[in-house]
Amino acid sequence: MTAVPSVADVAPRGPSRRAVPLPRGRRSTELAMLGFAVGIMAFAYAAAGLGLNGHMPSGLVVYVAGFAVLMGVAHLAVRRFTPWADPLMLPLAALLNGLGIVMIYRLQQSGRNGNPGLSISTLTTHAALYQLMWTAVGIVALIVVLVLIREPRVLQRYTYTLGTIGLFLLAIPALLPASHSSINGAKVWIILGGFSIQPGEFARIALAVFFAGYLVRKRDVLSLAGRRFLGIDLPRGRDMGPILVLWAIAMLILIFESDIGVAALFFGLFVAMLYIATQRKSWLLIGILMFVAGALLAGAIIPHVAERFTIWRHPFAPANIQGSSYQLVQGLEGMAFGGIFGTGLGAGQPFRTPLVQSDFIFTGLGEELGLTGLMALLLIFGLLVQRGLRAALAVRDPFAKLLAAGVSFVLALQVFIIVGGVTQLIPLTGITTPFLSQGGSSLVASWTVIALLMRISDTARRPAPQPIQDEGLTQVVRAI
Amino acid sequence: MNRAIRRLSIASLAFFVLLMINVNYLQVFRVNSLAAEPFNSRVSSEQLKNWRGEIIAAGGNGQEMIVARSQLVKGGFYKRVYPAGREYAPVTGYDSIFGLTGIEKAENKFLAGTAPSLAVYNLKGLFTGKPKQGASVYLTINPKAQAAAYQALVAMGKPAAAVAIDPHNGAILAMASYPSFDPNLYAPIDSAAVAKNDARYRHDPAQPLVNRAINYTFPPGSTFKLITSSAAFATHKVGNQISSIPAPQFYRLPGSHSTLTNDGGLPCGNGHPTMLYALTVSCNTAFAKLGVTVGGGALHSMANAYGFNNQNLTVPLPVSASAYPALTDPAQIAQSAIGQFNDTVTPLQEAMMAAAIANGGTTMQPYLVAQIKAPDQSTVQTAQPAVLANPISPAVAGYLTTMMKGVTQDPSGTAYATAGPQATTIKIAAKTGTAQNGVNNSHLDDAVFTSFAPADNPQIAVGVIVKGGGFGADAAAPIALKIIQAYLGQR
Repeated sequence: MTAVPSVADVAPRGPSRRAVPLPRGRRSTELAMLGFAVGIMAFAYAAAGLGLNGHMPSGLVVYVAGFAVLMGVAHLAVRRFTPWADPLMLPLAALLNGLGIVMIYRLQQSGRNGNPGLSISTLTTHAALYQLMWTAVGIVALIVVLVLIREPRVLQRYTYTLGTIGLFLLAIPALLPASHSSINGAKVWIILGGFSIQPGEFARIALAVFFAGYLVRKRDVLSLAGRRFLGIDLPRGRDMGPILVLWAIAMLILIFESDIGVAALFFGLFVAMLYIATQRKSWLLIGILMFVAGALLAGAIIPHVAERFTIWRHPFAPANIQGSSYQLVQGLEGMAFGGIFGTGLGAGQPFRTPLVQSDFIFTGLGEELGLTGLMALLLIFGLLVQRGLRAALAVRDPFAKLLAAGVSFVLALQVFIIVGGVTQLIPLTGITTPFLSQGGSSLVASWTVIALLMRISDTARRPAPQPIQDEGLTQVVRAI
Repeated sequence: MNRAIRRLSIASLAFFVLLMINVNYLQVFRVNSLAAEPFNSRVSSEQLKNWRGEIIAAGGNGQEMIVARSQLVKGGFYKRVYPAGREYAPVTGYDSIFGLTGIEKAENKFLAGTAPSLAVYNLKGLFTGKPKQGASVYLTINPKAQAAAYQALVAMGKPAAAVAIDPHNGAILAMASYPSFDPNLYAPIDSAAVAKNDARYRHDPAQPLVNRAINYTFPPGSTFKLITSSAAFATHKVGNQISSIPAPQFYRLPGSHSTLTNDGGLPCGNGHPTMLYALTVSCNTAFAKLGVTVGGGALHSMANAYGFNNQNLTVPLPVSASAYPALTDPAQIAQSAIGQFNDTVTPLQEAMMAAAIANGGTTMQPYLVAQIKAPDQSTVQTAQPAVLANPISPAVAGYLTTMMKGVTQDPSGTAYATAGPQATTIKIAAKTGTAQNGVNNSHLDDAVFTSFAPADNPQIAVGVIVKGGGFGADAAAPIALKIIQAYLGQR
């Protein structure tokens, strides 16, 4: 695609054009930090084995080498296809992904080969290997996105296609019979012949693209103010349509898939992007009010949701502690057991928390890595979100801007909902922890998000085309 | 759009700050309260890695019996084993992944080795790399008396309990409760199995988890007449055991239309029996009237001196308070003076009453733990017998002993047949009680028996209560007799 910038775009800022330093891609920085991430993963993996039974884990070389090769490939692809992308994103994601694999390895060993555990772990002996294989799929997804989408605005062409696909993906589990869509009570899966994916994870990305495309086109209309009420410019009634439709869809997800977490993410994504597109705080206010009203309504009429509120407020009540709040309490007690420095990987008892490998992996990490480890993890997530938002701020194309801001914000929201849920800050709703939780869908989707952010960041940081000659108003520029 | 993105950026920063604050709160400030949660299985499983001290019944003059010990199982955990099971369950309690009861709880810091006085032994272990070891608890329980008590309760087959104490120092020689539970069912490391066993016991209508010896109260029935007598002697309303007191055949309760009679509506001797005779045959009218003469205040303070209404007694297991209310209504005082109205006692309280009389009027603080020994067998703690109260003078104790001997030795005594010369060569001093129960006495009477032996050289005081046992001498006395015989080694 050939972009021909206007003269103003390439006009020198200083007195001398030669004095402007060329922006650097910082790919070598990325490689060094990626080395750190792989190194931490390797040490963590060794520590987990030593903590479990005092021996180096048997698959150390395979796992570490496999992970290192995958990250190396990702780095080469980035070097080739997005040389100007933010150098922090890939190492941050790699570190999270690596720690996730280590934790899953550690959990699959519970109760096996004489390791401590209540019983044999519900994870198979291949769980960590599968997680590594899913990482490979995630890296492939990253490369495919980088190769296929050379400019963010390419995606804009598929606004409505992706919107339809997103809604369809979101709706499938609700339409399928429970035997093909329900695992542990959450009806958010597509299960076909032993193979299961969570379409919602991908739907979120497709819908983010759709919202970005849609809002870029409609933002002028949507930001028209109607009446002013209490110092807030309320939107015109006729413009309320989209938010009402989205709210209704979120509520339907909630009712048919019993999944308040996914509904919150989905609706939060839309409201945040609507706000960015229109700059109207009233949309934010309306969105939050609608969500709170919806959640309270759901709490009043859906027993499953009401229970979430109850166990949030009274997890230690005798009526709950051996039943509905058992998992939450085990997670909290695990974190307390870990304290400030943690028990060390492999030396805690995270296996006491049911399904610790998915929704509760954060408490398992908290038990074994302690407060220090969790603060580091939260900082990594926070940095990743901030790098994404940084790319959104820097990029010029409004569509790319909206998309980057949307997916970055929803990443923060996702971490907040699940980590806040398992730490009793907010009512617990089961969603995955990005990069850490066991499961392919979430991992592949998370890597896809990283790919999009890197593509947008590359676009934002790419230096303006250098004029070949500088004579008069007619210029020849190098096409990229 | 950048302004909005910056704002959202701040919002997402706020998300992470909130999460960080909450995680700090959880892993720093809530650590102790979460560790103290009763069902915190991580904390209890951590303790399973240490060798926990033994509980040993050591009140048998050199004869010792291990009633709780730790056994190494796979995975490097220690599992608790209770070789004596149900017999000692009310004493040992259990040590489960969900929590502790009994001596396991009361002496946990010694058994688990966390007591500060054990720090020196564990410091040694720290350097030698040995796992932490707990101290062993030596009980005052006499294995023979305990076995006799539990077997007699099992043979009776009704909810019941028996307690025996050494009147001179307060050492508890036997403490049995029926129906009991098997503490081994709480010992598995598999928490699901423990939870299942626990649920079954909790839902059992027979309430096997209740320690009836100290945590269940029954009406004392006529055994309370000992306290009414004590109060009468102490307030000088009556001189001694041969002083006579009025005992009408029918006694109309003051200020009421109810009439009190003796057992079977019989007269009490000539209507002016001696204290000795009135107690021997257990006249209701005599003691009801005597109670009114003595007054509610004096009865209340005498009951308190014997140990009633004490919320804070521990042996070191916490003991439920026996109740005797402060009364002003004469009709209620009359009823309460013969152990009716709202009076309640634990079997331990029954034993303590007999022990006070046997010990010349001095109640010794009852206790279960004789010694605590560190893993290297050095003594960490030895029980020091302590005086709990002096409810009566030695002289009054003498009067009461004579009266209580009448109960078993006089052919008209209520326990003559079951604890008298025909039943045993041991001279027993006792008082029977038959407590009416339920609305309009619709339930079977509770049988109560308080006693000490030998009457002239007291070595053991026994309290027995059998719920629904009927006449006190028939159901409860034989159980007490078996315990006394086992302890004294005589027929």
